[in-house]
Amino acid sequence: MIPIYLCDDEEGVRHQLKTALERKIFLENYDMKVVCAASAARELLDAARDSRRGDYFLDVDLKDGAWDGFTLGRELRRRDPHGTLVYITSYGDLAWKTFQYHLEAFDYIVKEGEQTGPAAARCLEAVHARLLDERRDPAEMFSLRTGDETRHIPLADILFFEAAPKAHHVYLHTADSRLDFVDSLNELEKELDGRFVRVHRSFLAAWDKIEAVDGKGNQVRVGGRLCLLSRTGKAELKKKQRGSF
Amino acid sequence: MLTLEDYLFQFTVSLISHAVLVVYLFVIMDARGRRVVRKLPALLLSPLLATLLDAVLYARFPDHYVVRYCAFSCAILLMCTLWIRWAWRTGFWHAFAAACMAGMCQVAASGLAQILLLDSEIPYMALIAVYGAVTLVSAALLHRLRFGRWFRLLLEDSSVQRRMALFFFGLEAAMEAFSLLQEGIHPEYLVPYYALVLVMAGLAVGLVIYLSQRLDASRKMEVQRDVIAQQQLYERDLEAIRQEVRAFRHDYKNLLAGLSEQADEGKLDQLRTALSELDAGFDRRMGEKIQVSTQIGNVCVPQVRSLLLSKLAAMGEQGIDCRLEVLYPVERVGMDPWDFIRCLGILLDNAAEAALETDTPWVEIILLPQKGRLSLRVSNPYTGTINIDKIWTDGFSIKGEGRGLGLPGYQRILADYPNAAASTSWADSVFIQELTVEENA
Repeated sequence: MIPIYLCDDEEGVRHQLKTALERKIFLENYDMKVVCAASAARELLDAARDSRRGDYFLDVDLKDGAWDGFTLGRELRRRDPHGTLVYITSYGDLAWKTFQYHLEAFDYIVKEGEQTGPAAARCLEAVHARLLDERRDPAEMFSLRTGDETRHIPLADILFFEAAPKAHHVYLHTADSRLDFVDSLNELEKELDGRFVRVHRSFLAAWDKIEAVDGKGNQVRVGGRLCLLSRTGKAELKKKQRGSF
Repeated sequence: MLTLEDYLFQFTVSLISHAVLVVYLFVIMDARGRRVVRKLPALLLSPLLATLLDAVLYARFPDHYVVRYCAFSCAILLMCTLWIRWAWRTGFWHAFAAACMAGMCQVAASGLAQILLLDSEIPYMALIAVYGAVTLVSAALLHRLRFGRWFRLLLEDSSVQRRMALFFFGLEAAMEAFSLLQEGIHPEYLVPYYALVLVMAGLAVGLVIYLSQRLDASRKMEVQRDVIAQQQLYERDLEAIRQEVRAFRHDYKNLLAGLSEQADEGKLDQLRTALSELDAGFDRRMGEKIQVSTQIGNVCVPQVRSLLLSKLAAMGEQGIDCRLEVLYPVERVGMDPWDFIRCLGILLDNAAEAALETDTPWVEIILLPQKGRLSLRVSNPYTGTINIDKIWTDGFSIKGEGRGLGLPGYQRILADYPNAAASTSWADSVFIQELTVEENA
């Protein structure tokens, strides 16, 4: 069962949302339940202490001591990395992209009198559809931590890691991104044991993405991109190949 | 005929010179990290090869000392350049300029050491000790003057790098010529001679710092001029909002009267449409301006705020739809604000340029400070394909030459900040640049 949590300091809105969501759950027979409708951030945090993969509807303009919509979302995201965050706002012009990128917020609902309930129900439908999708295809993730923000990259998307020119920095390459973070190839090699091959002092390539050895044998093509290949790297590759047969 | 002992002696002298050179190099390159130290042993090749070359040349042209000296010096310069290029992963010209500068310092230091020991019959070891002390003291002095920073600033723009490198080569050549001349100086005049060498080295260092400060100042002036112009635009925007509010206040009593009449008559549907029209009208007329001005109000670092204002105004004029989100006040940027705005400027220029090639150009800027960290995210649509291996290299731009510092410049600026991480992604025709700066200091 997916637990649903609400947090809004307006009694009316809270009631409206709770009724609309419960109605939708009943009609569609979702495996979900509204377990908490809190009026303040701390109340919600207490109730959602051990929540996993929950669905949270949060007021953006929440004011509760140090907590506001964003910091509450960040705390929930930290505790429940795979939860779903939906924001409720009085204005259409909130800093939505900030919420989307930094909290991976799923959607937002604008408070518009009687329209709020149906909007919440539509949103719940979308959340449900996404959860179904995820259950069908639970991709293995690589967690990339920068400070207290964590980003999840599907392990299958990673082509290779490269030592960045700056000390202690590593680039993670996928087909459509290059991410810079603080780590070391040695640590990563240990952590990703077996799925990645150290083809060069500065390159750690995904074993299943390696296509061919290029050039005069000193480069290797990984997902259409070139990595350097050292002599020890070549030996690693051979060892790995023997192992896989 | 030279004996093996002579060659050994020459090798030792060359080795010591290299050690001095490396000390200066570390100051000039403003070096951090142990990586470079690990690469030091490879530099041993330089004195070794140079000595070998000298031996070969001596066998060939025993009488042409000047020719041998030139070849010897050039070889060392070249090998050091290659080593710097490899160790610091810089471009060739940058490495060449650094090698020349360090060479000049090294000649000057040996000059100073020789002044101090002119009349004495001190053993060779003491000479080395004095030489080392002079080197360390002068290197510390250069470090205090933040010479490395100025030197880097001078070489930052890739379009003038080669010119600057040749300028440094000229200085180094002059210095070496001086050093060569000492063989022909009457002992009586050695003191003024060495003093001249020192003055020249001092002047060269001063010149570098002066040039670089001038360059820095002119860049800041340029930004400030921009800023003043844009501040006026911003004020005009605020004025427009004020006018709009006044007009609105004038209208809203009438509007309310109309609405309450409709309410009295029970025409709820009409009332609802009237209300939503009112809302939409307000949003259309002022919402956009208010959105940008409240967001920009959160940027409390004057340089960043000014740059954002100026770039937003410029993009607005070009017909680019801009969105700026600054959720919390930005009070610090975790790096030199001037460096930060140079990065921001590069990212925004690139974004605008790429966006303009699409049918519906937009640029989105998100600044988010949280818990000792600032994240910046600039995204824009693009057309065509992106060759990710190429966009970071010098001289590559879809639009050709003369496009400012570009992404290589961006990387060069960030190279000095271990607390900064720059990520890039380009999925679904949207190009995204992210920069996170930790405030560890």
